[in-house]
Amino acid sequence: MESTVKDKAPTDGRRKGRVRDSSLYKKEHRVAFLMILPPVIGFLIFTLFPAAYAVFASFTDWNGIGQMNWVGLRNFQVMLTDNYFWTSLWNTFFMMIGIPIGLILSFILASALSRGLKGTTFFRTIYYIPVISSLAAIAIMWQWAYNGDYGLVNQVLALVGIKGPNWLQNVHTVKPAIVAMTVWKGLGYSMLLYLAAIQSVPQTFYEAAELDGANSWQKFKNITWPMCKPVTFFLVITNIIGGSQLFTEVNIMTPTGGTEFSSATIVWYIWQKAFKNFQMGYASAMSIVLGIIIFIVTALQFYQNRRSDYKLG
Amino acid sequence: MSKFVRKVMLGAMALLSVGLLASCGNKSTGAANGKHQLTFMFRGGDAEKKAYGEAIKAYEKTHKDVTVKIIMTSADNYATKLQAAISGNKTPDVFYVEQNNLMAYADNGVLRDITKDVKKSKVDLNNIWKYGVDSYRYDGKQVGKGDLYALPKDVGPFALGYNKTMFEKNNIPLPDKDKAYTWEEFVKVAQKLTKDTNGDGKIDQYGTGFNVVWSLPALAWSNGADWINKDKTKVTINTPKFAHALQEFADLQNKYHTTPSVKESQSLDTYQRWMKGQLAFFPVGPWDLPTYSKLSFDYDLIPWPTMSTGKSAAYVGSLGIGVSKKTKYGEDAADLAIYLSTNRKAQQILVNNMIQIPTLKDMANKWANEKNHGKPQNRQEFLDIVEKYGRGLPGATTYNSEWYDMFYTDIQPVLDGKKTAAQFVKDEQPKMQSKLDAANQQKKTAEATAGK
Repeated sequence: MESTVKDKAPTDGRRKGRVRDSSLYKKEHRVAFLMILPPVIGFLIFTLFPAAYAVFASFTDWNGIGQMNWVGLRNFQVMLTDNYFWTSLWNTFFMMIGIPIGLILSFILASALSRGLKGTTFFRTIYYIPVISSLAAIAIMWQWAYNGDYGLVNQVLALVGIKGPNWLQNVHTVKPAIVAMTVWKGLGYSMLLYLAAIQSVPQTFYEAAELDGANSWQKFKNITWPMCKPVTFFLVITNIIGGSQLFTEVNIMTPTGGTEFSSATIVWYIWQKAFKNFQMGYASAMSIVLGIIIFIVTALQFYQNRRSDYKLG
Repeated sequence: MSKFVRKVMLGAMALLSVGLLASCGNKSTGAANGKHQLTFMFRGGDAEKKAYGEAIKAYEKTHKDVTVKIIMTSADNYATKLQAAISGNKTPDVFYVEQNNLMAYADNGVLRDITKDVKKSKVDLNNIWKYGVDSYRYDGKQVGKGDLYALPKDVGPFALGYNKTMFEKNNIPLPDKDKAYTWEEFVKVAQKLTKDTNGDGKIDQYGTGFNVVWSLPALAWSNGADWINKDKTKVTINTPKFAHALQEFADLQNKYHTTPSVKESQSLDTYQRWMKGQLAFFPVGPWDLPTYSKLSFDYDLIPWPTMSTGKSAAYVGSLGIGVSKKTKYGEDAADLAIYLSTNRKAQQILVNNMIQIPTLKDMANKWANEKNHGKPQNRQEFLDIVEKYGRGLPGATTYNSEWYDMFYTDIQPVLDGKKTAAQFVKDEQPKMQSKLDAANQQKKTAEATAGK
């Protein structure tokens, strides 16, 4: 497929020259330009400018309300020995365990729903509800569910004779508890994308495979899963980016960053520093580091994806 | 696409772009039909919204040339939104000031020095709680003296409540509101009241269930200990007195068993237990009164139990109302702040809405001695805390409270009985000290900048 695109490319380029000359196309270009202007301006003002400003602020001792004094790399040096920074970074990555779990579960769900069983629409709706619900409402609901005393989770566990811990107050259970919640919340979205991917696999592939005597596992391994790979790739990337920015759930469910800082994520810590402790400069520096980390991880993913790119036929 | 439609769309796009650009540059305050428009930013729930809405309306009635635009946020979002507004040069004209932000706001030219405005208004400062006023005085070095940068919106004494009905049911003599329990007496009573009431083998009534953040200060202070020295330079938790108070607090759960254990409950739940009438003692603040007026049992207020100093201590908080230094209408804004904090009519509205106790002493005294005012009978305890024995939280008067917050972030092992208090304060002191040093360093930098 890739090669065909490449073949066409020069032709397009040649045509472009002619396009420019036509007054009709010119007009259309102008319209197109105006159409994309608002989002571009929005991007410049609300994304690029603040980002550049944060880069600058990361080299200052800005407290967020007063003057900025240049301090060079001091913020970054402080970060190296700041235990809270490392702990929150660790917490953030720990909670990304939810990403593979969520992907596997949503793939299984999508496979089940794609079989055209009765009530597919119903279940699709059910699983999608958490996605469109308010994050704050969900966090509060789960906070209750995790309540050690009469929370739903422990009541269910009690039915089978297990005495559940006080989920959100316990250093060892708070992170898994939050992971479970984020998985639950993201399930519907991933499932929907997988469902679309699975359903768009041409039936002819399966028919051909069946003629060759492939069993279901082989069909899954050699057709379904590879055909869903772009979706998996997309979900992994967006989930990692989203996962490294985890904030609202943590802030609502454990407002103090958890017992012994056990659930504080990096964004939570950045926010704490910026808006509670008057250290906007330091917070900016941490967000720059976070940005770089996300960039590297994403770049690695792209690299990895290209290397293992799967071509049918 | 017809030409007309295209033209309309182009026009719309162009407008949108211009709008995007323009919305970044304008300033919010301005004159609306010749009147001075002030913005007032505050936080709270529905009760506050209603109360302050009424108070602002009353103000507008008597100040025809001013209109007030209200910006309200939830309690959680307030600090973030306010700071974003300040950074974005859109500081509201009048806004709530948290105690621990006062220094930073004053040093960085966010708050207007309202000393002169207050003097001009002829408000009798002696009739306002000293703690409330002093919380917003700042001399460039320390909070507590010097110029006024805000006035108290309220004062929040944290008294100790007890379930009167439970005491009577168990034939335990009611506590004396004028003579505090000693710690030993307190523990004994709490133990007596901790029991299984329905005979199912499970304890379902407890003596205590305090949240460490709000209740430990009362014990530590009463034991002559504190988190920080007078100069705000040293963290002083590594003392036997402090360790003792903390240990006793933790022992309520681990040794005396009067507090439900972590397995049985968490701090959040003890509130529910108290509301259900399953706790003998629980702290009560003025903001609780509307909710607690609906409790199915009778309760009252008493002083906190005393430790080695023999004197009760309690935490009292406050929130201030300040004025932006950059406001267009400084005098009007100051006038509004003074009105909300000290005007009798405004205070009456706020008190009627049960969201706070009066900031004016004479009014508060009248409020405490009203006849048939319902529970709690001993409203006076609130006033005694504010006037006589209440103290602000240690983190409220340092440049930031990171060092103090750290204490509670790390404290769980002590409460669980996995670490002794003595060991904890020894380990924790250096960590907190380094955060306090950093805060003080930040303060110095800010002072130097302010001097420029």
